[in-house]
Amino acid sequence: MEIKIMKNILDRNQNKANEVRGMLAGKNVIMVNIISSPGAGKTTLLERTCERFGTEFRLGVVEGDVTTDRDAQRLKKYGIPIVVINTEGGCHLDSYSISKVLNFFDLDNLDMLFVENVGNLICPTQFDLGETFKLAVVSTTEGDDKPAKYPMLFREAKAVILNKIDLLPYTNFSLENFRSDLFNLNPGIPLFELSCTGSDGLDSWYKWILEQISNH
Amino acid sequence: MICRPECSSQEYVRNSYMHEIRIAEDLKAIVLEAAEKASLSVVTRVDVNFGQLIQIVPDIFEFAFRETVRNTIAENAEVIIEIIPVRLKCMNCGKVLHSNEFQFVCHECGSTDMKIINGKELFVKSIEGE
Repeated sequence: MEIKIMKNILDRNQNKANEVRGMLAGKNVIMVNIISSPGAGKTTLLERTCERFGTEFRLGVVEGDVTTDRDAQRLKKYGIPIVVINTEGGCHLDSYSISKVLNFFDLDNLDMLFVENVGNLICPTQFDLGETFKLAVVSTTEGDDKPAKYPMLFREAKAVILNKIDLLPYTNFSLENFRSDLFNLNPGIPLFELSCTGSDGLDSWYKWILEQISNH
Repeated sequence: MICRPECSSQEYVRNSYMHEIRIAEDLKAIVLEAAEKASLSVVTRVDVNFGQLIQIVPDIFEFAFRETVRNTIAENAEVIIEIIPVRLKCMNCGKVLHSNEFQFVCHECGSTDMKIINGKELFVKSIEGE
């Protein structure tokens, strides 16, 4: 006997993500799902962003990590609420884990919640967390082929950060190839070429974040 | 999964795994629920469709599914995985493109307003059993 089902396998995750999205919208909180490879600079980006906006806006961070709370320790000095999720081998966060940790935040007093997903370019893209938007972070030391190899992330992201731009002279990264692959996938997507350890390009990132909060 | 609010207290919330395993687990739940509803005593076949853009590795997925359905009525079910190629539709001229290069620009009119019609599937089509 054949039984037709035709159902999205990740329905459960999607339903919970929709619930999270609705809840955050009701509280007027922007949730940013930050996705990158390990070592691209997600935490350093958060350090710079917290330095710049930590007193001006009410920020919060969810740190998704396979193990350790080292990233959270780095952000502790900014005095913002942080929750660590250790996935213990899991390669992505899902909407259920986010839904659980939202209880630890005072959503009535929060403007923007950054979720630092587990370092990985494939799995996190498939699990909607209920975010307002995805942010892709890549760095020049990883090579310029990431948009071509991981099209879904770059198609779905609302903006892309190209970090470690100061290291460009020491790599074989082609800005031209990177931009061409990225804009073929997602024409017109905002691209911020910057260095989180220096100051190159950070101003346009700050300006964009400011616009996201003001226009929300 | 361990959750540490403010980097201090610890609370175990739930487990999370590699994405193929997580997807296999959710599939198992759907398959067993449908089988129960239809009063099946054994599931012999499960048909799933995965879009090319989802980047599922069929072998890993099949292994993961095998592990998750152990000791259930679906433990010997054959898993048929169909990978759906990417198809894009130009929202300007209506041209439908088959794209392996993931170029979101219309060959006909040059528009960049492209919609993904196929390639993002992640669904269970049907099951068979008795």
